[in-house]
Amino acid sequence: MSPVTRVFGAVIATLLAAQSQAQTLRPDQTQFRALYKELVETNTTLSAGSCTLAAQRMAAHLKAAGFKDSELNVFSIPTNPKEGGLVAVLPGSDPKAGAILLLAHLDVVEANRADWTRDPFLLVEENGWFYARGASDDKAQAAIFTDTMARLKAGKPPRRTLKLALTCGEETGGAFNGAEWLVKNHKDWIAADFALNEGSVGIRNKEGKHVSLGMQAGEKVYQDFRIEATNPGGHSSRPRPDNAIYELAAALVRIGQYEFPVQFSDTTRAYFTETAKLTGGETGAAMTALLANPNDAAANAIVSKDPTFHSMLRTTCVATELDGGHAKNALPQRAGANINCRMFPGDSIENVRAQLVKAAADAAMKVSVSGEISPTPPPPPLTPLVYGTAKTVAAKHFPGVPLLPAMSTGATDGRFLNAGGIPTYGVPGRFSDPDGNGVHGLNERKSVAGLYAERDYLYDLIIAYAAAP
Amino acid sequence: MLKSVGAALVAAMLALPVAAQTLRPDQAQFRALYKELVETNTTHSTGNCTLAAQRMAGHLKTAGFADADLNVFVPPGFPLDGGLIATLHGSDSKAAAIILLAHLDVVEAKREDWTRDPFVLIEENGNFYGRGTIDDKSQAAIFTDSMARLKAKKPPLRTIKLVLTCGEESGARINNIRWLIDNHRDWLNAAFALNEGGGGTLNAQGKPQTLGFQAGEKVSQNFRIEATNPGGHSSMPRPDNAIYDLSRGLIGLADHDFPVQFNDTTRGYFGAMAGIVGGDTGKAMTELLANPQDAAADALVSKNAAWHSMLRTTCVATLTEGGHAINALPQRATANVNCRMFPGDPVPNVQAQLVKAMGNTGVTVTAVPPVNPTPPPPPLTPLVFGTAKQVAAKHFPGIPVLPMMLTGATDGRFLTGAGVPTYGVPGSFLAADSGMHGLNEYVPAATLYAQRDYLFDLIQAYAATKDTQ
Repeated sequence: MSPVTRVFGAVIATLLAAQSQAQTLRPDQTQFRALYKELVETNTTLSAGSCTLAAQRMAAHLKAAGFKDSELNVFSIPTNPKEGGLVAVLPGSDPKAGAILLLAHLDVVEANRADWTRDPFLLVEENGWFYARGASDDKAQAAIFTDTMARLKAGKPPRRTLKLALTCGEETGGAFNGAEWLVKNHKDWIAADFALNEGSVGIRNKEGKHVSLGMQAGEKVYQDFRIEATNPGGHSSRPRPDNAIYELAAALVRIGQYEFPVQFSDTTRAYFTETAKLTGGETGAAMTALLANPNDAAANAIVSKDPTFHSMLRTTCVATELDGGHAKNALPQRAGANINCRMFPGDSIENVRAQLVKAAADAAMKVSVSGEISPTPPPPPLTPLVYGTAKTVAAKHFPGVPLLPAMSTGATDGRFLNAGGIPTYGVPGRFSDPDGNGVHGLNERKSVAGLYAERDYLYDLIIAYAAAP
Repeated sequence: MLKSVGAALVAAMLALPVAAQTLRPDQAQFRALYKELVETNTTHSTGNCTLAAQRMAGHLKTAGFADADLNVFVPPGFPLDGGLIATLHGSDSKAAAIILLAHLDVVEAKREDWTRDPFVLIEENGNFYGRGTIDDKSQAAIFTDSMARLKAKKPPLRTIKLVLTCGEESGARINNIRWLIDNHRDWLNAAFALNEGGGGTLNAQGKPQTLGFQAGEKVSQNFRIEATNPGGHSSMPRPDNAIYDLSRGLIGLADHDFPVQFNDTTRGYFGAMAGIVGGDTGKAMTELLANPQDAAADALVSKNAAWHSMLRTTCVATLTEGGHAINALPQRATANVNCRMFPGDPVPNVQAQLVKAMGNTGVTVTAVPPVNPTPPPPPLTPLVFGTAKQVAAKHFPGIPVLPMMLTGATDGRFLTGAGVPTYGVPGSFLAADSGMHGLNEYVPAATLYAQRDYLFDLIQAYAATKDTQ
């Protein structure tokens, strides 16, 4: 795409945005919008972007806001020079009070201009939406946290120290992960009583009405397993009764039919208790019944019709990749599949593996742990300070919208911090539309009004947390 | 490997107490030719069929063949993939010729995997070791040697054509027989052809049990079976899944047995085998011949994998793959199904049965090009089959000659398809661990010399018999 088109497109978008929205912004919002735009327009994909550049730009904002160089730590490691991050510190007035960490990731999922309607690395404001890669995941929060640090610098120091950690590598399994690296190598930089992170899901219905706010406490644990069948093989003109592909197929069908038992944690118990009230009817009643008796098969069947609820109620495992055989004209000597599990927090790898073995119901089938072994921290506690404060502030910003504790079925960097002893929560404030807003997909978008509301809420929430003893 | 050598030793001691020092002069001459051929590397990767063809032509020239009767042909663009056609003119110009067909090329062999150098003829404990010692340089050497010996005699009634070709084994650059059929069909004019594919079986004690006269072979055809699905994120499995759907289809396929069929060849084979085997299995063969739908008889006979394959079309999954990422629900899962179609069983009929076997799983079935014809087997005429039996009675008294259908494939399918009925001649008894296509290929020396004596007499008998067809 030509630079001319790019500039022209940007001009049009700016004109449109200026007409519809921008004139009503408060000065602090205008300042925030510029920071958000700069961050979104800094490409931070693994393939073509630079997190280090984004970190430097955010550090420059904070420096302009009055942060000292000693309070701004742009870090990277020599082998991954573009996958750096930033740790910024706003010292609190009470040196004995524990710090609070604001964690967000700079990197974004890949985005192909050819597949997108608009340039994914230009912030386009259109009909009340910000369109861009990272508009939601996770540059909204990264910008809000950075902007919050800048605004707080201008005032009287809060009681607690605030730390901002912007990291790279959350989206890229297997590449350098900044959050994991900080926990392992410089935990002192990020030491805190607790951390605020992405991962919450508030729900906005089709009509645009706020249904619920989410406070994420704990997430399911990612773990791959490999299941494999072997056979002496032979020439395909003379099939033998046993066959690695068929035996694997039979085991996979059984694994597909296997349901892991229903489990609850404090988080999901609270979630389903609240959701039962919100949902009502047969499904609500089934949730209540299931909370009373996790073995209630009829209630389980009703609630688990919804794939999200189904995944929140249990460990899930699903075959994602399949391979087998070595030649078209030879009986297969080996057939295997990757089984991707999302383990309920606290469920052990060995317990899950044992259930896969049981489900496969074929002693000849080898089931082994595959890939990196994820930490399996229990969910962080929903303390009155963390959860109560979030509710109190939410009542002011989103009156009448219930706040539900939530467990993510996907994974965030929170798992590394939780495992490292820093309880990490996905803070509320953002709302998801029924279509998922293009997160990780095409034409990612964020509600303009929603972003400003989230920012206002988080600013007050952070002040409230930082003031708490 | 040790085990295989040990077994070979035991087999050698049982089958042949006599060793090589007792060779006749003609055998010593044959041994030298066989050695030269085995030691000419004719693999597709590093070998040279043209050189082997030239060397065999050199032998024949020494034996008195005129240059005009020695046609070393090289398909344009394939300098290493040549062959030889040698003609020994018969006394009766009206009698149709006989073709002696053998292939020069061999399956790959890695020195580091073999106990001995695969391209050095090593005689050890009564066995010849080397790549191609059986497949197919035993017959190529016997046929070339027969031509040389016959040249010294009074011309036979029929013309005999020796056709040594390249490219029979899989992975070849060009198949000479197909090239000859397409470009020089007149060079292949003959009443019938003698080829590899026949053989003999040993009993549990290593004693010859039956001789096999091959007429017809099954036809290989690949089918692709495929399941598709919208996919999604693996943290939220959906009830349907491409890998599970494919697996269900594969289970249906594993449980499906194609119906029993007979042709003249297999009818003759099982008719004779019933008497040889005797007992319940022999009785079941007789019952199955009377009623191919006799399920109980089928179950008993089909316990033997070789018989199971000779009785029907077989299809077996040989390759499988599915999914595109370890953390995504699979959008596609496929398998290659390799079928060996009973001669005359049409492709659409096989495909329809595959579809039915998969059941209601949404799995699709497509024939993978090239879609192969399934010609009926060549007829077992009194001339070809009767003569083979008579000569066998002299050389292998008491050993019955059975018609047999190959479940694998030879070049005979092309030549038969081009109108030259092609038969696999008997004479070689192979141990189960012969190493054909595998490691440490070997043939007992005594077995090879006996095969040579039989084939020399058989060729003379055929060449002396006027056409009665």
